[in-house]
Amino acid sequence: MFYEVLVRGFYDANDDGTGDLKGLTSKLDYLSWLGVDCLWLLPFYQSPLRDGGYDISDFFTILPEYGDLADAVELVEQAHRRGIRVIADLVMNHTSDQHPWFQESRQDRTNPKADWYVWSDDDQRWPEARIIFVDTEKSNWTFDQTRQQYYWHRFFAHQPDLNFDHPAVADAMIDVVKFWLDVGLDGFRLDAVPYLFERDASNGENLPETHDYLKRLRAEVDASHPNKVLLAEANQWPADVVDYFGDGDECHMCFHFPLMPRMFMAVRREQRYPITEILAQTPDIPDGCQWGIFLRNHDELTLEMVTDEERDYMYAEYAKDPRMRRNIGIGRRLAPLVENDRRVAELLHAMLFSLPGSPILYYGDELLMGDNIYLGDRDGVRTPMQWSPDRNAGFSRADFAQLYLPPLMDPVYGFSGVNVEAQMRNPSSFLQWMRRMLDVRRQHPMFGTGAFEVLPAENPSVLAYVRCHEDDAGHENVVLCVNNLSRFAQPCELALGRWEGRTPVELLGRVPFPRVGALPYFVTLAPYAFYWFDLIEAQEDAP
Amino acid sequence: MKAEDLEGLLGGLTPLLEPYIGRQRWARHDADGAGPAAPAGRLSIAKAELLEGYEPPTLWLLVRRDGDLYQLLIGLRPEDEPLDLGERDVLGVFTAAGGTAAGGTGAEGKAWFAYDGLADAEIVRHLAAAMGVTGVEDAIVRPVGAEQSNSSVVLGQEVILKLFRRLQPGSNPDVEVSTGLDRVGFNHLASPLGVWTRDGYDLAVAQEFLAGGSEGWALALTSLRDLYASEEEDPAAAGGDFASEARRIGEMTARMHIALGKAFGVHPPALTEWANALVEQVDGLGLGPNVRRRAEELASRLVAVKDVPSIRVHGDLHLGQVMRADAGWFVLDFEGEPARPVAERRLPWPPAKDVAGMVRSFAYAAAAVLHERESSEREALEGRARAWEQRNRQAFLDGYASVEGLEAVLPEADSDTDAYGVLLDFFELDKAMYELGYERAHRPDWEPIPLAAIERLAEG
Repeated sequence: MFYEVLVRGFYDANDDGTGDLKGLTSKLDYLSWLGVDCLWLLPFYQSPLRDGGYDISDFFTILPEYGDLADAVELVEQAHRRGIRVIADLVMNHTSDQHPWFQESRQDRTNPKADWYVWSDDDQRWPEARIIFVDTEKSNWTFDQTRQQYYWHRFFAHQPDLNFDHPAVADAMIDVVKFWLDVGLDGFRLDAVPYLFERDASNGENLPETHDYLKRLRAEVDASHPNKVLLAEANQWPADVVDYFGDGDECHMCFHFPLMPRMFMAVRREQRYPITEILAQTPDIPDGCQWGIFLRNHDELTLEMVTDEERDYMYAEYAKDPRMRRNIGIGRRLAPLVENDRRVAELLHAMLFSLPGSPILYYGDELLMGDNIYLGDRDGVRTPMQWSPDRNAGFSRADFAQLYLPPLMDPVYGFSGVNVEAQMRNPSSFLQWMRRMLDVRRQHPMFGTGAFEVLPAENPSVLAYVRCHEDDAGHENVVLCVNNLSRFAQPCELALGRWEGRTPVELLGRVPFPRVGALPYFVTLAPYAFYWFDLIEAQEDAP
Repeated sequence: MKAEDLEGLLGGLTPLLEPYIGRQRWARHDADGAGPAAPAGRLSIAKAELLEGYEPPTLWLLVRRDGDLYQLLIGLRPEDEPLDLGERDVLGVFTAAGGTAAGGTGAEGKAWFAYDGLADAEIVRHLAAAMGVTGVEDAIVRPVGAEQSNSSVVLGQEVILKLFRRLQPGSNPDVEVSTGLDRVGFNHLASPLGVWTRDGYDLAVAQEFLAGGSEGWALALTSLRDLYASEEEDPAAAGGDFASEARRIGEMTARMHIALGKAFGVHPPALTEWANALVEQVDGLGLGPNVRRRAEELASRLVAVKDVPSIRVHGDLHLGQVMRADAGWFVLDFEGEPARPVAERRLPWPPAKDVAGMVRSFAYAAAAVLHERESSEREALEGRARAWEQRNRQAFLDGYASVEGLEAVLPEADSDTDAYGVLLDFFELDKAMYELGYERAHRPDWEPIPLAAIERLAEG
């Protein structure tokens, strides 16, 4: 399980109102207790912070508020000691306009870094490339007064795109990667990876040149630092995303973006087709590769990879207040999205933990933390982690006014009720539930790597599937997952003939259910209920 | 076992047939399906054969009963090796009558356990292979819902085999239409994989199985249950909104009609015949003069329309005949209304007949879920039921009209005559009156559903 953490928002060790690497290190025991396998850090590099750190102004320096290189080394060492790996965000496509490379490049057309960015005399080139941040940007070109030329940027105007056609740029980014692997990082989440190259008469996404570059990156990493992980952020349709796995020689993991909004849609519509439809369109991936699946993350719930009709539906259902909308998406945390319904939150996580892929959890969602849609941009979902009912949610001992963002204090999601300390003490809390689920998941490796097959069910509200894994002895281990997407109790008949004679044993309580016979297997489900069954071969009766 | 043993077997088996058939959903029952209790001699064996190469031995029978012809597939296992089956699938144990073949073959005097062959995976797999279906040698076989005129089993995950029970001479309309549609490239159906034909009868068909599918009816009820329990009055705002699916069903229906036109031709219809039949129905049901006036008006306007293309239609299109699968919507079962003679089901109709059938189905779905609620709640929910019906009906019609190429099977668009609108009203009224007749006979509680439609249509 991956745990996505905002260093700024996790824990403040030096009382300056901003979370830091030392603070994160001091909370590793909590993360280890929860069952985290890998930490994913949002960008911690030097940055003017006009885009949450995704505007990097120096790839080799830690943002001073977060600490220094020694803190990073300490974090990685302490994490490894607990069996937790650490990966970090890396933005390869662009830099901040404050980066010295850009400052040099913009001076004139002849300086040594003149071609490190993408410049043009007019703003008419590559009209096929869409504008991603439609809320704020009018064009992918912005005029620079100093150089008297336009520069290319797929994201914000203060984030000029690097020119990967320039061999020195391509080499420089590989140096950045190796530097951090030397520090001890276990890999990277490669941000905005489809846009590295630009070509005429194309939309500038998923170009062959981009894939060639990623293959080179992978080969160089494998050669110098084996067993690292590259996770691609490519917000594309599954058929395009699989290209980022290459033939197993590109990225190890890719996010499955279209699945996430459809999980919410399926629960709202009380039918499985939004999920099964997208899974049916998801191609097989090479051995050793894995999808990264998630319910929420630091960005808006992105609706780029849905149809217009589905987007309208998602807005209508999940973002009734226009303030909840961000770019093409919905800027909310999980709990408010499901109206704080614990049953729905459990169901969604049960699916997240059992569908094919590595689950990625966003910090605070293990508490069912809320959001603050009145904060600007995406800050609404980046409020401080709620550790205890103490001052500043136990996040920081700084003055309240000094905090980077105020913690949530509303009566439903506020830190006085929703916090780690209270939920650790309460055996029936969501946090304890999630820890148990992760524990069960870890005991059954087929959740991570097993084959996946949806089982037919006449009841459209029921989503049933199996995860299968053949062990070395040739024995087929099977876990059956049955999910009720409806707010009402539902019956369901499943064709389990292939496993006739096996006994379904419910995984959380180890309660045996009636043996599978020749006839369809009948299961009843409470509202939003789910079952994980181990299908166990018949045992000899005890004498 | 040899074919000569047939006579001996039939002697023992025949008395078991009537009670067995009487238990089946696909058999025609006495009034209201109240049960069989058939007099002896009502049943006769028209044809019997021991199928070659089957193990266990399998008897194929055509049985005449009350003017209907039934197909039976009966498996035989030694009495002491029976299968563990439900009561419905078992004919019973019988002893073969004295052998006829000189020297005997061992069959005479032997006790047999007789059962429905479709309940035996070995027989089903053999039959499927004989029909040319490949890759099912080890498939797991499971029964799926019993229909009024056939029984189906699924082999593995990919194949459904449908055995027609009540036979009509000539090719089966389901086989005929799905093969025709498949030929012209219509892909919203289960592709036919093989047909079993003998003596001029289509006996069984194997088709691609739409794994993971749910009936449109089940999805519509899911949406309605959500709406009735919702905080929202407006179906567009409720989470379980069905309109996008209704629209897709409309698009698929239009594509089906275009394909039917291509596969079976576009014909001129016999307008006056059914135009008059509508007016007669009004009288038969004792409906008010406003309905009669409207029926007469529709009939005369219809006759005035010069060019009404007619095609082979689905004939019995409703939410229970469409299926949502991962790849979208599919249409099922092209048999038409099983109660009507096959020749009549083959007649060309304006496609509006199918459109009206689906439109009425939305009304029924809304009402069916209303009937699930306590009677005290219903009045408060009626507004939502109407709103749901209206919204999904419109989405379906919009989806239908949006498909390119539809003009080939619709009357020319002309705002003066509004031929399509007239056709739709006509068939909707026709369907609602058929429903009214049915409800009066069977479910008087449900009369208000078709009545509401009739009143609305009478207003024009």
